[in-house]
Amino acid sequence: MLEIKDLHVSVDGKKILKGLSLKVETGKIHAIMGPNGSGKSTLSYVLAGREGYEVTGGSIIYNGEDLLQMKTEERAAKGIFLAMQYPVEIPGVTTMTFLKTALNAQKRARGEQELDAMQMLKLVRAKAKDLQVSEEMLKRALNVGFSGGEKKRLEILQMALFEPKMAILDETDSGLDIDALKLVADGVNMLRAPDRSMLVITHYQRLLDYIVPDKVHVLAAGQIVKEGGKELALELEEKGYADVIKVPA
Amino acid sequence: MSAAAEREARRTEALDSFRVRGMPHRRFEHWRYSDLRAVLDAGQVAQAGTAKWKIEKLPEGVELFDLSVQNAPEWVMKTLGHVGNRRTMVEASLAFSEGGVALRVPKGKKIAEPIKLEISGQGNLRWLIVLEEGASATIFEPHTHDAGYLRNVGVEITLAEGAELQHVRCAPLAPKSFTVELMALELAKDAKYHGHFANFGSRLSRTEAHIVLGGEGAEAHLSGVAVLGHEAHSDVTTHIEHAAGKTLSTQLFKHVAGGKSRAVYQGKITVRDGASGSDSRQTARALLMSPRAEADLKPELIIFNDDVKCAHGATVGDLDVESLFYLRSRGLPEKEARRLLINAFLEEAVDAIGNDALKETIWHDIEAALPRAMEAAK
Repeated sequence: MLEIKDLHVSVDGKKILKGLSLKVETGKIHAIMGPNGSGKSTLSYVLAGREGYEVTGGSIIYNGEDLLQMKTEERAAKGIFLAMQYPVEIPGVTTMTFLKTALNAQKRARGEQELDAMQMLKLVRAKAKDLQVSEEMLKRALNVGFSGGEKKRLEILQMALFEPKMAILDETDSGLDIDALKLVADGVNMLRAPDRSMLVITHYQRLLDYIVPDKVHVLAAGQIVKEGGKELALELEEKGYADVIKVPA
Repeated sequence: MSAAAEREARRTEALDSFRVRGMPHRRFEHWRYSDLRAVLDAGQVAQAGTAKWKIEKLPEGVELFDLSVQNAPEWVMKTLGHVGNRRTMVEASLAFSEGGVALRVPKGKKIAEPIKLEISGQGNLRWLIVLEEGASATIFEPHTHDAGYLRNVGVEITLAEGAELQHVRCAPLAPKSFTVELMALELAKDAKYHGHFANFGSRLSRTEAHIVLGGEGAEAHLSGVAVLGHEAHSDVTTHIEHAAGKTLSTQLFKHVAGGKSRAVYQGKITVRDGASGSDSRQTARALLMSPRAEADLKPELIIFNDDVKCAHGATVGDLDVESLFYLRSRGLPEKEARRLLINAFLEEAVDAIGNDALKETIWHDIEAALPRAMEAAK
């Protein structure tokens, strides 16, 4: 699905990723854990194609194609989805209008039939129910005045609508209480599929109790320093990052 | 003195006043961003003739008087040339126009159907509307341009106690024209004025409103958009005077400027000594879509009373980078994402229009103007 080789990335001239390599397999859930400042968010932004992240070396191959050559919107149409840690608020655009515009833009880019307003409404309603996204939320301006939990649920609703091949969840657990976390995790688990991979980025092991990964990678100082099964997450929780990782000098 | 003679006398006064003061220019503080004298001389204004007006269908209950007829009824005589202060271009439109239109809505009459007043052609023009006690109406004022024109319009609006007027003015792109419209409004107790000014720019465009909230409880709500590209210019200047207590004014202007265009907003608020409990809010925001576009936003407060609330804010900026990335990461091509964000930016100001059909008309014009505004300078 996704192969990152020796990736070097700088932001404002500062080196953040320093030779990161990672392979995400089709249909699997990979977790990336790491302390603050290790480069977790940078990795997610580079995958989604955010401007200002300068790739100075290495490669990212996504389904046989060079991901770094694709524009942000092209990546979305080809199945890359980033659930953001801080979804932006956009006053003046209703949530429903946004969902419709985005889904149809992706469909158009893939040469598929676009959905009309009625079809869209039906589809959104069906998916929104499971995530407890209310009709009222859909009528409000995008993310404006939403609680932390509502914002994260809306991110997962988008994931359910867009049906990405490669979903990246950036600190989806941040700012959520345990009930909100369970609801979001249930939503994510429902979207597990044999042709869908996920990259779950998190600081804490807690989220991985609910979204159980197939593989865990530890990111520190811009590199993957350790890999293992789901038990690695527990080990990190128990001993802390400092004991598990040998920070490269 | 007959009405005709009285009008002639007032006209002579106006002519003398314009002759003495001449064209406004950038050394007048309020014409700093729109130097009219630099592009036009007084002779051109004097010889411009009279612009045309048209009302195809007058809603039932509205009275109309054609100003080209000299013997005007009393309600016209009391109003024409007598509302607001005698600004030089206002005097010019009175002195040099041979016609125009006066409208009146009688006491207590509520007119639901908008009065559509179309303005076209080159020249000076006057129009006025009088709403008597408790009357209400909507006036839609579209301007059309088919050549390079000089147009100078003077408007007078008086709202008696409890009257309510919606006014939507729409000035399309007129790249070769000079367009000036100066309005004077007087509001009595509990009267309400809702004005929306949509501007798509001309070579020099000035929309100016002087509003006197003269009776307790009077309200003025102004909103507007300017969507400009190429070398278009649009200047909206307002002066709201809170002359009585418990008066309220709100202003919300949103401007988008691309190419080498220039968007100006100047908003002056005066709160008089006796206007206790008054409340005024003004917001002006501009989005610059090109490094060579310019926005000048200037709120100004003059307060002679302690017991008032005044809030103002002005910001000039670019589209939010975070929002742009968010939308693109959801599959929207960059251009579509930008457009969605610009629409979102303008939404609030267009939404202030109280009539759905007119709201749609303005959106339609915005959609047509956006490609120009989204271009960078050539």
